[in-house]
Amino acid sequence: MATGIKENREQSGAVLVVGAGIGGMGSALLLAEAGFQVYLLDRAPAIGGSQPLLDRTFPTNSCGLCFMSPALPAYCPFIECDRHPNIQLLPYAQVERLEGEPGRFQVTIREKARYVDVARCDGCGTCATVCPVEAPRELGQGLEQRKAIYRPYPQAMPNTFLIDMAACTRCGECLKVCQPGAIDFEQQDRLRQLEVGAVLLSPGFAPFDARVKGEFGYGRYPNVLTSFQFERMLSLTSPSKGLPQRPWDGKLPQRMAFIQCVGSRETACLGYCSSVCCMYTAKQAMLAKERMPESTICVFHMDLRTFGKGFDRYLERAQKEYNIAYRRSMVSAVKQVPGSQNLRLSYVAEDGRPREEEFDLVVLSLGFVPPDGAEALARLGFDLNGYGFCRTEAFAPTRTTRPGVFVAGAFREPKDIPDTVAEAAGAAAAIARLLAGAPKQPPPPAREYPPERDVSEEEPRVGVFACRCDVAQVLDLAQVLDHARGLKDVAHVQELAEACNAEGLEEIKRHIAEGGLNRVVVAGCTHRLHQAAFQEALREAGLNAALLERADLREGCAWTHRDRPAEATAKARELVEMAVAKARLLKPVPLTTRQVEAQALVIGGGLAGLTAALSLAEQGFPVHLVEKEAELGGNLRHIYYTLDGADPQALLRSLVSRVEENELIHVYRGAEVREVSGHVGNFTVTVESIPVSLSTDFTLDVGVIIVATGGQEAVPTEYLYGQDPRVITQREFEALLAGSTSQRVNEATRQQDSQTESEGALVDSLTCNSMPSSVVMIQCVGSREPHRPYCSRICCSQAIKNALRLKEINPRAQVFVLYRDMRTYGFKEDAYRRAREAGVIFIRYDLEDKPQVIAQGQGLRVLVRDLILRERLILDADLVVLSTGIVPNDNRALAEVLEVPLDADGFFQEANAKVRSMDFERAGVFLCGLAQAPRFIDETIAQANGAAIRAAILLSKGRLESRAVVAAVNQRLCSACELCVTACPYGARAIDPELGAVVVDPILCQGCGVCATVCPNGASQQNTFEMRQVMAMLDAAI
Amino acid sequence: MPLRFSYYPGCSLHSTAIEYGLSTQAVFEALGVELVELSDWNCCGASSAHSLNYALSLYLPARNLALAQERGWDLLTPCAACFNRIKSADHALRNDPARRAEIEEAVGFRYTGQVRVRPPLGVVGREIGLERIGALVTRPLQGLRVVSYYGCLLVRPPQVVQFENPEHPQLMDRLLQTLGAQPLDWSYATDCCGGSLSLTRRDLAAHLVGQLVARARETGAQAMVTACPLCQVNLEMRQVTRHHALEERLVEVEGGVMARQDGAGEKLSPRPRGTWTGAELQRGEGFSGEAMPIFYFTELMGLAMGLEESRQWWGKHLIDPRPLLKYLDLMG
Repeated sequence: MATGIKENREQSGAVLVVGAGIGGMGSALLLAEAGFQVYLLDRAPAIGGSQPLLDRTFPTNSCGLCFMSPALPAYCPFIECDRHPNIQLLPYAQVERLEGEPGRFQVTIREKARYVDVARCDGCGTCATVCPVEAPRELGQGLEQRKAIYRPYPQAMPNTFLIDMAACTRCGECLKVCQPGAIDFEQQDRLRQLEVGAVLLSPGFAPFDARVKGEFGYGRYPNVLTSFQFERMLSLTSPSKGLPQRPWDGKLPQRMAFIQCVGSRETACLGYCSSVCCMYTAKQAMLAKERMPESTICVFHMDLRTFGKGFDRYLERAQKEYNIAYRRSMVSAVKQVPGSQNLRLSYVAEDGRPREEEFDLVVLSLGFVPPDGAEALARLGFDLNGYGFCRTEAFAPTRTTRPGVFVAGAFREPKDIPDTVAEAAGAAAAIARLLAGAPKQPPPPAREYPPERDVSEEEPRVGVFACRCDVAQVLDLAQVLDHARGLKDVAHVQELAEACNAEGLEEIKRHIAEGGLNRVVVAGCTHRLHQAAFQEALREAGLNAALLERADLREGCAWTHRDRPAEATAKARELVEMAVAKARLLKPVPLTTRQVEAQALVIGGGLAGLTAALSLAEQGFPVHLVEKEAELGGNLRHIYYTLDGADPQALLRSLVSRVEENELIHVYRGAEVREVSGHVGNFTVTVESIPVSLSTDFTLDVGVIIVATGGQEAVPTEYLYGQDPRVITQREFEALLAGSTSQRVNEATRQQDSQTESEGALVDSLTCNSMPSSVVMIQCVGSREPHRPYCSRICCSQAIKNALRLKEINPRAQVFVLYRDMRTYGFKEDAYRRAREAGVIFIRYDLEDKPQVIAQGQGLRVLVRDLILRERLILDADLVVLSTGIVPNDNRALAEVLEVPLDADGFFQEANAKVRSMDFERAGVFLCGLAQAPRFIDETIAQANGAAIRAAILLSKGRLESRAVVAAVNQRLCSACELCVTACPYGARAIDPELGAVVVDPILCQGCGVCATVCPNGASQQNTFEMRQVMAMLDAAI
Repeated sequence: MPLRFSYYPGCSLHSTAIEYGLSTQAVFEALGVELVELSDWNCCGASSAHSLNYALSLYLPARNLALAQERGWDLLTPCAACFNRIKSADHALRNDPARRAEIEEAVGFRYTGQVRVRPPLGVVGREIGLERIGALVTRPLQGLRVVSYYGCLLVRPPQVVQFENPEHPQLMDRLLQTLGAQPLDWSYATDCCGGSLSLTRRDLAAHLVGQLVARARETGAQAMVTACPLCQVNLEMRQVTRHHALEERLVEVEGGVMARQDGAGEKLSPRPRGTWTGAELQRGEGFSGEAMPIFYFTELMGLAMGLEESRQWWGKHLIDPRPLLKYLDLMG
């Protein structure tokens, strides 16, 4: 529990999360782990949002969603959300009213009638087989059908049926066959009151309606699909089993075309850019090509906006390795060929001539529009922006205009999964800060158990408990138990109505005590359910938790072979026999616990570090903030204005003063981290002052570390920079523009360190000569080239920001922007449009034929080949401004100290680009800001908050406990080859030089078993999966 | 009360498109709709005014609107170009107060907005209704395979003309179906025929018309149906026939080798005869067919409704549709 905050009984410790997609599930899990009671609501009958549609995602083209849960290793977040004791799912519901104040809201929700009693429905699905009515299946994007009584998809959570009353004819067939009597046509919507401290909106998005763009023929030509339909086709669970298919004849298409920006980036439809389509198209094209290597795929596009970390490399793979053709041309029309139903695409080729090309299948890349029901939701009292998305302030990206109501994900602005996950975490942190004092759910109790009975000398006495829950209709349990009774070392068999409820658990405990059982087999549902409850029963009865074995008679047997009860019963007998064979050989695994040092270290005092430190402190945890320089603020000190007119210097002043005034934050200026030892929960950090001569080393004990060391503007080596004073960088230009409008800023910067002093001097020299009347900006200087292959994400918007500011000061100034792709993603597209309207001229150049800058007497001359005019242009300029991008600081020393990796570009390498951008693989070390990748202020704020709540959750645990199943090393067999040390994904293994063998940290070990598979000597063994135990199971099976 | 409209023929319906004018009047009379030609109407300004003098391009049609407003009935405008211009003026008058004041001043009237500008196709679809048309069909156009060709002026710009889905209009198709003909689905119903370039860039107009006719033929159509005198005359006049095809077709190069030949006579991708697929061969043949008749939808209405006058219309065509109609036994 956080120490630094007083409890505030006026506040409610409950949170309502509206929208259970990737963002909502992420926020819910974090808040639940942080001790809040979470209501996770969704309009749909099952949680998951858009995720069920996504079979494969960037960068590894795997699902990978399981990585994002705060508890590691996690199952998929769907299951985590369903199982978490602090989360209550409210599917098929909507918010009706919101009254009250931040900290104490009264929410009225409407739970829509499912016409199927969730408590009774066992998901058997017989109803759907007899239902005579078909309706479009939501997941199928109009290409699949379902029955009027249906389950959204087989793995839906909750896994129960419902009736689509709009389609239902009330024929009553389902009523006749439903054995549990779960169907109820008379069910009504129910209104419910909830009391919550805060509300988080994460309702996601809806796809743009492709019919609006009639020239592409969607809805009219059968072989024109939307990208959402295509995504579904590529899912291995689709009717085509992951293969693209022409709806017209079911044939596999050989020639496929993607059309980008359908409806996007045009004022008549969606004025903004949806940010995600360039990447998902690359992914879809690669997947299609993988599955059909003979096909040819062509992508018609405008700017390619692959601006995120690793995105450009991914795009290059699509182009070079997969031979996907990219054509920079918008398709003007799609026509259908009679007979073949092929499609003819008209476009203007790069040579300026109109072309027509025939394809078998066309995919329209659709952008995002606000989710259905956004306007109704907004009646809760927050504002939408002009596009119908949720309005937020520049520096409070997760706050809506109604206090206490927060937002995350695509509902704020279209965004991809990595940004959604970061923002969802940021929003969770904002709520944790607001409700820091609210009463929390206690962490799982640190209970006292009776001393463990030593079973090492006992003969195995196995108790087999078969649970009737939802298996008895199919399996003959009496027969299964009869069989079990005859097995070696089985001392007791019993059938239980529900093994996991209080009576069932009590019965198990009683027989352990009275019958002297020393191994327990629970035969019923999968081990993924109720494992903790059964383990606890064993511990309460004095047995080690590792002496439990499960036999899955339900999900993997009764449910799967529902139609063949005799064979299913035979299988169940074998499953129980295998479980008993293994249980006989089970050995106790000692549990380890470690106390957590409940304070944090934040390295770096820029925007990310300041934000993370404040966030942690406001959640009640002491923070040590170490900044290398003498001043706090980092790069934020050099940003004077933003595209949306906010004041970064005011933000900086407020952050610094709040950090300095916060009693829980200790700031160390001019200091660096020199050494780190220990593990998650207990790091010892040596901090050293710079300059070293002052030498006041000291050590800090912390439980977690957040890395926020920032980055810097790259120093260019081209275009006469450094040789001619009239060639400057965007940051220098920004200082100049800010100086001309605000003398105060000018003076403020001059008083700061030497770097800004030189900026001040430049400002002086240039303001004297008034503003330049002709400026040429060159984008991607040193970026997206072989030696620095990534995109810095911010430079396009920075150039536009400065261009617009210059136009404001001097409307007659001529501004040319020479670019490769304008990457003004999201609502930044508005600014791009504004700049064009203001007369800024954008000229695209090619990497093969870069512009040239020549100094010429009074001015500068820029030569560039205009790819549209196909002419060489000569531009005379007073000033050439270079967009040089962001490079990482030299992080090598720190990376070594922290034992965390850097990526190929020198930024810190996060655990997973998609869903764990704020974590390292090394437990207890977190990451945010420019140190991870270039990003904007609002994105940094969200991510830094996200890193803070992930750290806070660890700190709030008080103590860390090892899992029941961890790996161990037989030191006699270990040859210290280190294969397992490198293979371990959790950094739980190290060589002990004294022992000459590998040792395992049981707290870090997550029992995944990778070590056991790589060990050449069989020295690494995973407890409860030892060779003997597994072989015994196999013997029993064969 | 019987339907009544002021009738604005424009120049075309008295000259190059006289068959459109005659058939419109005949059909509406048979439908019991009264058409009264606007007296003292003037040029709508289409084809030249809007590219030379924007203000004039509004004043000219606005004067016609003023005349119609005086009489009080809605204004039936069969020519798609006239319709587009008058609609544009009406749109400016309705939505742009400054422009409205200027136009009112120039023309000398006060705009009330009560008169609606209507194309006959719209009137057939809405005020009259296809059921009523169906009941009047005495000679269904059985066996006649056609494509509807709306062109651009009737449907675009959509916010001005407010006609139908500009990308996929369906009204004419449904009408033709009602008449017993077989309208075929094709993708080119609103593509440009090059009508405005008919005199200045004949090569381009011929190319566009050639494309359209080839696509119609590819779809399996025996004729095209229009609602615009500019399209109709352009499609008839610039259509290429067998002897000077601009479109590609299959020719024998030498000794069993065949190639596609483009309009300039260049031979593309020669391959042995056996390697061409049946579809390719058929398509190649399809490109060089007989001239394709171009109907006005009103003519086909008159024909299907058994109007005797229809005999007088066919002779006005540049491409005589009578052989086709005779072949299908539709001449009665």
